[in-house]
Amino acid sequence: MKTTVIVNGNKLEWFAGMTIGDVLEKMNYTFRMLVIRVNGELVRKQNYATHEVPSGADIKVIHLISGG
Amino acid sequence: MIEIIIDGKKIEVAEGTTILDAARKNGIPIPTLCHRSTVEPYGACRLCIVDIREGNRTRLVTSCNYPVRKPVEVNTQSEKVRKTRKTLLEMMLSRWPNVNLIKQLAREYGVTSASYTHPLVDYSSNACILCGLCVNACSEIMWEDIIGFAGRGENRRVVMPFEKHYDACVGCSTCANICPTGAIQMTDDPNHPADDKRISRYGARVTDEVALYDIEQCRMREVGTAHLTEIMNDYDLLPTCNYKFGSHDEAGKLHSDVFKNKYLTQGVPDGCWLGCTMACAKVAEHFELKTGPYRGEKVLVDGPEYETVAGCGANMGIFDPEFVLETNFYCDTYGIDTISFGTTMAFVMECYEKGILNKERTGGLELRFGSAEAALEILHQMGTGQGFGVIVGQGIRRLKKIFAEKYNLSQQDIDFMQDIGMEAKGLEYSEYVTKESLAMQGGYGLALKGAQHDEAWLIFMDMVNNQIPTFQDKAEALHYFPMFRTWFGLVGLCKLPWNDVEPVDNAETDEPAKVPKHVEGYVNYFSGMTGREIDKKELILMSERVYNFQRVFNFRLGFGTREHDRIPYRSAGPVTDEEYESRAERYDKQLMEKWNYDITGKSTTEKREYLRKSREQDYQSLCDAVYRRRGWDENGVPTIEKMKQLKMDFPEVIAVLEKYYSSYTARSS
Repeated sequence: MKTTVIVNGNKLEWFAGMTIGDVLEKMNYTFRMLVIRVNGELVRKQNYATHEVPSGADIKVIHLISGG
Repeated sequence: MIEIIIDGKKIEVAEGTTILDAARKNGIPIPTLCHRSTVEPYGACRLCIVDIREGNRTRLVTSCNYPVRKPVEVNTQSEKVRKTRKTLLEMMLSRWPNVNLIKQLAREYGVTSASYTHPLVDYSSNACILCGLCVNACSEIMWEDIIGFAGRGENRRVVMPFEKHYDACVGCSTCANICPTGAIQMTDDPNHPADDKRISRYGARVTDEVALYDIEQCRMREVGTAHLTEIMNDYDLLPTCNYKFGSHDEAGKLHSDVFKNKYLTQGVPDGCWLGCTMACAKVAEHFELKTGPYRGEKVLVDGPEYETVAGCGANMGIFDPEFVLETNFYCDTYGIDTISFGTTMAFVMECYEKGILNKERTGGLELRFGSAEAALEILHQMGTGQGFGVIVGQGIRRLKKIFAEKYNLSQQDIDFMQDIGMEAKGLEYSEYVTKESLAMQGGYGLALKGAQHDEAWLIFMDMVNNQIPTFQDKAEALHYFPMFRTWFGLVGLCKLPWNDVEPVDNAETDEPAKVPKHVEGYVNYFSGMTGREIDKKELILMSERVYNFQRVFNFRLGFGTREHDRIPYRSAGPVTDEEYESRAERYDKQLMEKWNYDITGKSTTEKREYLRKSREQDYQSLCDAVYRRRGWDENGVPTIEKMKQLKMDFPEVIAVLEKYYSSYTARSS
């Protein structure tokens, strides 16, 4: 059984109950304008703290462009 | 979550949700006249009343401002509710009999005309119905209080102070856009837009987005672009000590909240663009200067923006918000650009640390990283035309030449200055570390005006998201974004409302990075203003014409060819062993995984040099891919075919380019 997830192409150690909020914290992704898909499925912002990611998931955390 | 019942339907809502929001989210209609999600509900029209049952008691409440705190049963259509709404609508109809909105609602409640006439009856179809949306929008969305209510009871009316025209009103149109009857209307005599309503419609969408979402997105209204300081530090992108590193332990001292909590005194639109809701420019008042001709005086300081915080702070190794403010004030006062000053000073400081400069050469100033006092002294010298500051004021490109000649430097030192002097085409870099983003290296190096990020800011797409992994992907981004962003300059519109606030459903669009709904907005601003219908492709084509013309202009000034798209190596990778070792794990991994380089037994210098060779090759391959995508030849010269395709093949233009085709062919052969 895989014990990692892939975040933007990088391996990240997975643990049971891992949420999107945990992924953002582990990756130190503090930017706020994000588009997140887990195995292609969009996760809405209000669900980041509760949406659990399965082991082996392909997670895309797309940071949008900001600034002058 | 709290379970409530509305019209017999069980619904779970978060505590604090209003009954109106809960009902509408569940498809249960409740009429309103004075409600918009962008302003605080205040129950003026009373039409949203509902019957609530708590225990054995029922009572009428306005649902728009009734937050759910405990389980409650709601009836939106009880006899009492319908009767009260009918009475209210009849009263409104008696005063404003021809306002469509009221007529329509009244009809739904069986009222087609009032049984009496109000003494102040207004027969106009766009009468003010005193809903108060304009007053609240002015106050809550624009943070102004230019209009308000005067009088009481039937004398209540919307006015400017003392019922006179008030100059502080800049005509932002927010009140007109929110007015449900058209009682407030905008006229645009100077510009004569072809379709002002079309422009307002799209503009109002952005206004609403800023009012609703900015607080949870970029906080532009609170702190402006300075919110990027902490973000850049978190992602190892904040230049510190002349772009050596991308983060610093002391960066928290320059956090946007430090400026907000201690120094910024005005949180209102500054008028950089009349009526802009985003209002990103900030002001610090009563700031006491410690140096220079105005020492001891309390002044008003603009900003600071992110670039100023990073350039006139972190990049010089100075983590003092008061230094940032003082530098910002004096740069503005002397007319010196904060980016060029910050980046040039960072270069000078590294030259000092390296021994290329010393006290004798700087007129006695110890210009090490972190030397705030000495940096300010240079700024004053620069502004008043004295001492070493006059030399520094010439910028990095000239400094490299001046230092080399004046101090008779070794080739090694000259090469070092070439590597760490962060300029391209003679313009100093703005404040982002680009080592881990090849696309952004191109964003700077290939920008026509020199190393500025306003053509393309691709670091997140490239380095963080891994969205554009191949040279072709990066080239596509380095085609689309520079063309799209050039368009803002062509039409004189600000770019920030494109990407510093986003529609709530942007994530669900096909290309969120482009913010498609905002692109649609800009297309409509253009067509609404000019009356000429365009689409998003034509928008890019407009830019492509001008962009290529600008490239031709560069050729005419001798800056067009490939050699001028060169970047200093620090933009691409670690120049020194110190830099390599600070991120050794990252670089070692790349050497092994990306370039299959066996690092066993290799010294830092050997690894660094191998990395350099690989990254420099990558940059040249990127240039190849971008030139191809833009329709330019191998030397970066727009081809005749491309100029024909763009209908820009004027004889004078081709004459400029032909010299370069022939010289390149001659050199190649």
